[in-house]
Amino acid sequence: MTQPGTPMWRQAFDAAERRVTPHAENLVRTPGFTTGVTLLRRAQNLARDTARDVSARAWHLVNLPAGSDLARLRAQIGALDREVRRLTVQLENERRARAATDPTQEETDADGAHPTGGARPRPPRRRTQRPPGA
Amino acid sequence: MLDRVRRDVERNALRARNGIKLVAGVDRPGVGLTPKDVVWERGRTQLWHYRSDRVRYSPPLLIVFSLVSRSYILDLTPGNSFIEQLLDAGFDVYMVDWGEPDERDAENRLEDYVDDYIPAAIDRVREISGADEVNVFGYCFGGDLCLLHAAHHPDAPVRSLTVLATPVDFTRMGPMSDVFRGGLEVDDVVDEDGNVPPRVVVQGFKTLTPTAEVTRYVTLWERLWSDEYVSAYQAMTGWSDDHIPFPGAAARETVQMLVRDNGFVTDRLTVGGDRVHLSDIRLPFLTVRADRDHIVPPEATAPLIDLVGSEDKHELRLAAGHMGLVVGKTAARTTVPEIIGFLRQRSEESAPARAAGQEG
Repeated sequence: MTQPGTPMWRQAFDAAERRVTPHAENLVRTPGFTTGVTLLRRAQNLARDTARDVSARAWHLVNLPAGSDLARLRAQIGALDREVRRLTVQLENERRARAATDPTQEETDADGAHPTGGARPRPPRRRTQRPPGA
Repeated sequence: MLDRVRRDVERNALRARNGIKLVAGVDRPGVGLTPKDVVWERGRTQLWHYRSDRVRYSPPLLIVFSLVSRSYILDLTPGNSFIEQLLDAGFDVYMVDWGEPDERDAENRLEDYVDDYIPAAIDRVREISGADEVNVFGYCFGGDLCLLHAAHHPDAPVRSLTVLATPVDFTRMGPMSDVFRGGLEVDDVVDEDGNVPPRVVVQGFKTLTPTAEVTRYVTLWERLWSDEYVSAYQAMTGWSDDHIPFPGAAARETVQMLVRDNGFVTDRLTVGGDRVHLSDIRLPFLTVRADRDHIVPPEATAPLIDLVGSEDKHELRLAAGHMGLVVGKTAARTTVPEIIGFLRQRSEESAPARAAGQEG
């Protein structure tokens, strides 16, 4: 609904927009658009990967690491960082849970040593809802 | 006639001034300004505690934000802030902000957030507040994380769950999910750091309303003379163009489990190797959906109310857009009071007021 006082140019734009928008919204919801996006993206990736391979070979020829080598290293460090982070958070959660149930437990554990030859304490069991497939 | 000419001349002068300000990026409105303290952090994730000396309700409220956007939308500008309204209503408010993921987060899976970070945040909130339970509030994809958490940890110390604009039927999410259901792989869009870059996320959202970008600029030109409009435009478009990377492994899991398998609706959800079911959620539950939401269409959120197992469950439908649920005058008049009403009924009034924040 056009409000009173709306300039002519805006009224014209709104009229055009009302006609175009449904078609544009239908277009982006067609299988053809989905296929087009996928193909375009893959073509971009192919071009990028090809250029990167050529550049990596050039760096390797002079015994220097390429960007892809560094990216791989960063990914490995990232994965390690995530493992450490998860363990830290799980340890924190476990400490809090134990402190909540028995405030003296944490100190006792801190002072006590586990026998070297004995089995390592089992990790806490994760609570599940129900068995898979139930 | 003379008045009209004079008005047009004045407006064009203001347009020129505001246009220069916009292009130069000066005089941007401050966002996310409500005072807060970081009370816990791990990796890029932080738990914020908003300062307040008006806390009247217990248990505290923990907000879990989305993984792909910036959390300041909930605390946009002073006077236009969802957080501010919650504090004014007397709640003790905390928020989990996921920060900006980098290559160290590329392997983060949904279970990292659902099984590790959310429980850790809940425990920290209980530790600080001394409360036995918390009310949890999930926004957009943060709501999905909360649903998975509540389903996987039914005995977690959570009194109630509220989710806002939270999609569950991903077949109704439009082109953004269609491209992944049609053959595009997450690996086709990840960046060198292993995450889905923000430009892909922003482009995905823009595809949902292909002509909105043009309309946005036309409306801006029309109202560029208005300082108030320009300020709101800067804050809102600043947010909608300012997304964060989606951790690669979590994106792969989301595409497979939630988009292709449509796991919430088909009951094919797995967290950390365990099957989980929304029907196991028995908490008092509120889902809020927006009828004019172009990012999370109402059809994508509609099935949720029937999927959760709670007896005390409610659905609130509002004639608003995605951001309009929490930002602007309509939100302040409709959505926020409804949410506050729901939370009040699941809280106890505690007197006298206790000051929140400044834990150091």
